[in-house]
Amino acid sequence: MIPQSHFLLLGAALFSIGLFGVFTRRNAIGILMSIELILNAANINLITFSKFSGSPDGTGQIFALFVIAIAAASAVVGLCLVISIYRNSKTILINKINLMKW
Amino acid sequence: MSGLAQLLSSHGLSYDFMIKATFYFVAGLTLLFALLVVLSRNIFHVAIYLAMTLIGVACVYLYLDAEFLAIVQVLIYVGAIVTLFIFTVMLTADINAGSVGAMIGRVSAAALVSLATFFILTHIITMTTWSAAPPAETSVGLPQLGKSLMSQYALPFEVISLLSLAALVGAIVIGKAQKR
Repeated sequence: MIPQSHFLLLGAALFSIGLFGVFTRRNAIGILMSIELILNAANINLITFSKFSGSPDGTGQIFALFVIAIAAASAVVGLCLVISIYRNSKTILINKINLMKW
Repeated sequence: MSGLAQLLSSHGLSYDFMIKATFYFVAGLTLLFALLVVLSRNIFHVAIYLAMTLIGVACVYLYLDAEFLAIVQVLIYVGAIVTLFIFTVMLTADINAGSVGAMIGRVSAAALVSLATFFILTHIITMTTWSAAPPAETSVGLPQLGKSLMSQYALPFEVISLLSLAALVGAIVIGKAQKR
C-alpha cells in the first residue's frame, strides 16, 4: 500500500511547480494554466485525506468535485477576460498591459 | 483481481509491488509534464503538456479509489477546459513570437520562493506521523457520492449551479464584441 505522505508530497510538488509558473509566466494564458496546476494539487490533497481519514460519506470527494466546478467557471471567465484584453490592446503579455497603472 | 495477482506471482512479481511501481511511474510522469507546463516556451505546447498532466492526476485519483473523480477530471478538465485554453491560444497569441518564456530577472526569485515552499511543505509532511494504512473498506462508491450530493450537500450543489450560470452570462457579456 502506498503511504499517505507520498500522495501529499506529490500534491506539494505540484503546488510548488504551479506557484513557479504563476510567478514567471509572461503570458496571461500561461498564468491561468499554472493556476489549474495549483487547483489540481489541492484536489489531490482533498481526496487523499478523504480516503485515509475513512469518512464513509465521501466529504473530501464532494469537496473536490466543487473545486473542479469552480475551476471550470473561473477558467471560462478568465479566458474571456484575456480575449477581451487582446481585442482592446492587441497583447496578452502581462508586462505590456499597463492600462490601469498610474 | 486475484487472477491478475496469480499471473503476476507466476512471473515472480507481487501485486503490491506492481501497484507501487506503476504509482511512482505515473507520479513521476505527472511531475515531469507539470515542469514542462511551467518551462516550455511555446504556449501551444504548454496546453498539450497541461492535458497530459491532468490525465496523470486522473490516474493518481484511481490509486485513491476515486473512480468518479478520475472520470470527471478527464471529461471536464481535459475535454472542456484544455480545449478552451487551446481555442484562446489560437484566438490571441502569436504563438511563437511574443508569448515565449519568462521574465529573466524574476526567474531566480520565483525559483527560490517556490523551492522554499516545497521544502517547508516536505518538512511538515515528513515530520507529521500519518496513519499507516487507510481504515478497512473506506472506498466511497458512486451511489454513496450521489446520495450525499442530493441530501447533505444539496444546498452547495444548487449554489454551484447558480455560480455556473453566472459564469456563463458573465463570459458572454465580457466576450461580446463592443459596438463602436
